Amino acid sequence: MRKLLGGFTGLVLVALYAPIVVMILFSFNESKYSVKWTGFTLDWYRQLAGNEKIHKDLLNTLKISGASTVLATLLGTMAAMAGRSAFRGKRLYTTLVALPVMVPDIVLGMAMYSLFHFIDVHVVRLPLSLGTAVVAHTTFNLAYVAVVVSARLQGLDRSIELAAQDLGATPLRAFWKVTLPAILPGVVSGAVLAFTLSFDDFVITYFTTGPGNGTLPMRIYSLVRFAVTPEINAISTVILAASLVLIAGALRFSRVPVAGGGR
Amino acid sequence: MKGRFLSLLLPPTAWLVVFLVLPTAVLAVSAFSVEGLKALAHAGTWLLFWRSFWIAVVSTAVCLAVSYPVAYFIAGCTPRWRNLLLFLVVLPFWTNLLVRTYALKFCLDPIGWTDTGAVIFAIVQNFLPFMILPLYSSIEKLPARLLEASQDLGASPARTFWKVTVPLTMPGIAAGCILVFIPVLGVFALPEFINERTVLIGSQINLYYGQGNVGAGSALTLVLMVFTVVLTWLYARLRKSEGLV
Repeated sequence: MRKLLGGFTGLVLVALYAPIVVMILFSFNESKYSVKWTGFTLDWYRQLAGNEKIHKDLLNTLKISGASTVLATLLGTMAAMAGRSAFRGKRLYTTLVALPVMVPDIVLGMAMYSLFHFIDVHVVRLPLSLGTAVVAHTTFNLAYVAVVVSARLQGLDRSIELAAQDLGATPLRAFWKVTLPAILPGVVSGAVLAFTLSFDDFVITYFTTGPGNGTLPMRIYSLVRFAVTPEINAISTVILAASLVLIAGALRFSRVPVAGGGR
Repeated sequence: MKGRFLSLLLPPTAWLVVFLVLPTAVLAVSAFSVEGLKALAHAGTWLLFWRSFWIAVVSTAVCLAVSYPVAYFIAGCTPRWRNLLLFLVVLPFWTNLLVRTYALKFCLDPIGWTDTGAVIFAIVQNFLPFMILPLYSSIEKLPARLLEASQDLGASPARTFWKVTVPLTMPGIAAGCILVFIPVLGVFALPEFINERTVLIGSQINLYYGQGNVGAGSALTLVLMVFTVVLTWLYARLRKSEGLV
């Protein structure tokens, strides 16, 4: 019975990984149209490296992920710390913070878009831009950072902070000298998680960024709808490699967030 | 102390009110427009919801059937293997969903598998970790004594499985199903990649968005959101009343 289960698990892992491996292999395939292997080449990567559009996409992706990570890490950490105290309406507050994790991406994307559209039409000219995408990303990233930091805060003994204050530290000083160092691994892994989710996001960016402000995942989306080419394999492989580097970074700082993510 | 608490609470709360509650309110307002109501009165819309619902039900069921044996196997491994296997299961879903779906398309297109079955296969392949993880954590907590007791009292392995293992792992089953079902209901881009003709609710919202028909897009999104909230609420209630944790 165990053998049977083990064999089945192996099969599932093959189904998970085989397509990715095949896709990576064919990013090194010479033929542009054939699905048969015709020979090794780095041409597709060379083309990417010289493609200005792709550079711009990458830059946009980094700008959106970077800015929203900074904002979300600040706000998410605050949200997690405020969530430690007991107060009226706390259940509502917790639901509000966790909501972006629960609703499907398309709901969040469309809701954001309808707000920006409404402001644009009725209040003040607000065309979609990198800025609107950063706002949308910050909203969902905030939730993920708050979840990760909360987990870390739960393991923190509050009496240490109180001791610091009893010994004459101001609340701010107690935070810098005691609380922050203790929760730093949580904050860092929350930030890396946020950056990864942002970097990989397609749906929410699609609804909230302006024309000419596309990201790498958006480039894949529009290219695939034309045709399958080795160039897409190469872009995909690069994105995949970037995600793996980020995960490795997250794992170094903390073992907490492995079970999170998923965008 | 109070001032400090408020200075922590206010910025994130303000952000969420302006950029989560307000967008939802605006979404609701634009849904109740002429275009929105017209889209909701259209029978085709409900056919799409019906189709999305069924695809989500079937995908969730297949996901559960595939994940249970895997989670069961992993839970029975030595800690070293357990960590390795869990890591392997989780790793793909830290990578880009579009890239994973493209990889699958790259393999399925040449063999000509591009029907709705292929869409379900792609969904299952993509959302598997969401099911395996919660299943694993509840199977791992299963007290071995109870399984032994059941067998000692003469139950066959199959009977033990259905009468002891499955009921005790119900929290994991419920959590996994909700975690898969909700995002699949609103899945977007994945069906377009695998088979353009499998139009689900997400694709239709995108279509309206592309046409600049904000009212109709908002109306469909609002219905999807209501579905999500009701499901999550039911799940939370069930967890409370049944003691499912």
